[in-house]
Amino acid sequence: MNSKPIYINGLGSISIQQPLSFEGIQQPLSYQTPHVRCVEPNYKDFFDAVQARRLSKIIKRAIVTAKQAVDDSGISMPDAIVTGTGLGCVEDTEKFLDAMIRNEEKFLQPTFFIQSTHNTISSQIAIHMNCKGYNNTYIHRGVSFENALLDAYLLFQRGTIRTALVTGNDEMTPNYFILLGRIGYWKQAIQNTRTCITQEQSKGSFAGEGSVSIMFSDTPSSKSYACLNRMSLLYKPVKPMQQIIREFVADCGLNIDDIDVCMTGMNADTENDAVYNSVLQDLFSPNEIGTYKHICGEYYTSLSYGMLLSAYCIQQGIVPAHCILGGVEKSGVKHILLYNHFRNRDHSLMLLSTC
Amino acid sequence: MALDVYITGMGIVSGIGIGVDQTLVSLREQKSGIQPLKHLQTIHDLPCAEVDLSEDQMRELLNIPADEVVTRTALMAMLATREALQQARLTMDGTYRVAFIHGTTVGGMEKSEVYYFDFLQNDLHNEFIEAHDCGACTEKIADYFGGFSFVSTPSTACSSAANACILGANLLEAGIVDIAVVGGSECITKFHLNGFKSLMILDSQPCRPFDETRAGLNLGEGAAFIVMESKAHAAKRGVAPLCRLSGYGNACDAYHQTASSPEGQGAFLAMNAALEMSNLQPADVSYINAHGTGTPNNDESEGQAIVRVFGNNPPHVSSTKSLTGHTTSAAGGVEAVISILALQHKFVPANCNFTTQMQSLPFTPVINVLHDIPVQHVLSNSFGFGGNNTSLIFSNVQ
Repeated sequence: MNSKPIYINGLGSISIQQPLSFEGIQQPLSYQTPHVRCVEPNYKDFFDAVQARRLSKIIKRAIVTAKQAVDDSGISMPDAIVTGTGLGCVEDTEKFLDAMIRNEEKFLQPTFFIQSTHNTISSQIAIHMNCKGYNNTYIHRGVSFENALLDAYLLFQRGTIRTALVTGNDEMTPNYFILLGRIGYWKQAIQNTRTCITQEQSKGSFAGEGSVSIMFSDTPSSKSYACLNRMSLLYKPVKPMQQIIREFVADCGLNIDDIDVCMTGMNADTENDAVYNSVLQDLFSPNEIGTYKHICGEYYTSLSYGMLLSAYCIQQGIVPAHCILGGVEKSGVKHILLYNHFRNRDHSLMLLSTC
Repeated sequence: MALDVYITGMGIVSGIGIGVDQTLVSLREQKSGIQPLKHLQTIHDLPCAEVDLSEDQMRELLNIPADEVVTRTALMAMLATREALQQARLTMDGTYRVAFIHGTTVGGMEKSEVYYFDFLQNDLHNEFIEAHDCGACTEKIADYFGGFSFVSTPSTACSSAANACILGANLLEAGIVDIAVVGGSECITKFHLNGFKSLMILDSQPCRPFDETRAGLNLGEGAAFIVMESKAHAAKRGVAPLCRLSGYGNACDAYHQTASSPEGQGAFLAMNAALEMSNLQPADVSYINAHGTGTPNNDESEGQAIVRVFGNNPPHVSSTKSLTGHTTSAAGGVEAVISILALQHKFVPANCNFTTQMQSLPFTPVINVLHDIPVQHVLSNSFGFGGNNTSLIFSNVQ
C-alpha cells in the first residue's frame, strides 16, 4: 500500500509522571510499588465544581489531555476523534456492577452506567469540544491504541479527514489491579521502576495508567514534532517478525541501519521482554533498542505514551540514556521504529521520522 | 471515488432465528422474537428477544467442549461467522489476508457479573478474568476459525457493528487485507439490562417504534457478520456478490452521553455523509432500516433527522427492532443482514406493533411487510450512546 505520511502537531499527557509536561521523559519519577496511579493536574483549572465532581477520573484526564494536544497544535477543531482503550471506564463500570450485585438489581442509579461504556471517553471529548466529526473507539487488548490510530490513518489515506485527535486512555483501579494480579500481570514487589527493565527481570510488570492525546494533521507545521510514515498491525503473523520488520523498513524506503532507535514495549516481565530480545537481537544492538514503560508503567494503551515520547525525542533529536537498553544516550535521532507486541499474538510497527 | 466493497456472505443469529433462512421467514411473516426472558437470570420481568439456544446447545452446534472457556457473546458470534464464511465459500486456510472485525461492548460481562466478587476474593474463576476483555472475546472467535491476519474490536455501544463495517471497507480500499469479515455480537447481560432499566428506557410491553404511544425499547441479543471483498476479488474467487456497500457515514451528535439532540444533528450528518459517498440522491433510497429503538427520545430525534434529509415523504421506513429487540452492539450487523435480505428478496420488513401516528412526524412507518417491490438502495442507521452515529448504504448489484 502506498502511504502518505501524517504529522504529529500536538501532544498532551497525564501519566504517572508530572502531568501536562515532558518532564517525565527527561527526569522520570521512580516508584517502589507495582501499582502506580496518575499524578493528577489541578482539575479546578479545567472544570467547574459540578463537572469536576460528576466526571470520572478517566474522563477528566481525557478531556484535559485532548485540550492540551489541540491547543498545542494550533488547530481549533479536529475532523475526527478516535480513542483506543483496553478497558474503558473501569471505575464507573465497577461502581455499577458492585451496586447491582450488592443490591440484587434494585435501587440502581443510572449515572455510573451512563459513564461505563468504553466509548464514553471519545464522546465526552467530542461533547466538550462540540466536535461533530467522525468519532470512534477501539478496545483491543495491548494494541488498542494502534487500532485507533490505524482507523484514523486509513481516513487520512483516503482523504476523508485532514486532522485527527487520536487518544489512548486507561485507568487501573485498585480492584482491577487485584484481578489482573491474580492472573500474573504484576510483580509482587519492585525496588525501582526506573531501572526495573534492566535490573528486575521476573514474572510480571508494574501497573501504570494514563491519558495521551495526539493531534495528527496531513500537513506539517512549525509545531510538528515528527511524522508517522507508515504503520502495520499483524495478528499471529505466519512469517518471522524479523523478516516482517525488514520488509516494513524497506517499504518505508529505508535500511535497518537508518533506524536510530527501535522503541519497544519491554516492561520487565521476562516472558514479554524475551519476545523483543529474540526478534531484535540480529537487527539492533542494545544501544539502538529503546524502552518507555519504565516511565509510564504497563497498561493496555501505554504505547500511546511511547509514541508521545518518541515524537518528542525526534523533535529534540535525542533519546535520553535511561530510555536506551544499553544505557547510552542516542543523539542525531531521525527515525524511530515503534515495535509493540501483546502476548506475541498481536504485533504493531510504526515508523516515526523527522518532518 | 465509489467504494469497491461487495458482500459475498452473511450469517446471523438473533431472537428471530438461527441462520439467514429462519431470519428471512420471520421477517416475511412478521414473527417477533420478543418474549419473556428464558436464558438470563434476573429479577426483572421484561420482554426481550433472546437467541433461543442455551450455551450448551451452542457448544454442541460448534463442537466446543464443555470445559473450554468461552462466553455466550463469543458462541453466538462463532455461529454467525461460520454461516457467513460458508456462504462466501471462504476456507480459512491462509490463502488470503482476511480481517476479523468484531463490534462489541459487553465482552465477557455475562460471566464477570456472576463471578465479580470471586475475582476479587479468590482464585475460583480466574479463567474468566481475561474473558471479560472485549479484545480477548474477538480473538477467541477468530481463533476458533484460525487464519485471520488482522483482528480488531470497535466499540461504540449500539453502533459498534456498523463501525466494524467502516473499518473493513477502509482496510479493503487500502489493500491491507483481501477480505474483511465484519459485524458484531452481544448477549443480554444483567449489567446492561439493569443499566437501561435505571435509565427508564425499557418498555414492559413489546416496543412500538415510531408510535406516538412508544414507551421504550426491548433488549435483544444476537450476532451477525458479513464477508466483504472487492468486486475483482470476488470474481477471482468465483463467488457472486449479494450486494455492495456503496457508502457509509459516521458523525458525532456531541450533545449528551445518553440522549440525542432534538433535531438529530448527528444522525443528519451521518445519513448525509453516507449518501454523499454513495453518490446517491435521497430519492434514490428505497428503504430506511431505522435505528428506531422505540424510546421517546431516539425516534423523535431520528425522525426529525430523516425529515431533514429526505423531506416530508421519505422512502419506506421501518424499525426491525420491533422483531429482534435492540441487539445493542450487534444491531449494526443484524440490521445489515436484514437490509441485504430486503435487497435480495425485494421486500420491506415491517415496523410491528404500530397503532398511533406520531404527531411530530409527517411520515408513517411500514406497518405490514411490503412484498415484491423493487428495492435498490437500503440505508441502515445505527446510533450509540455518546452520539456515535453511523449510517450504511447497501445497494443492489444488478
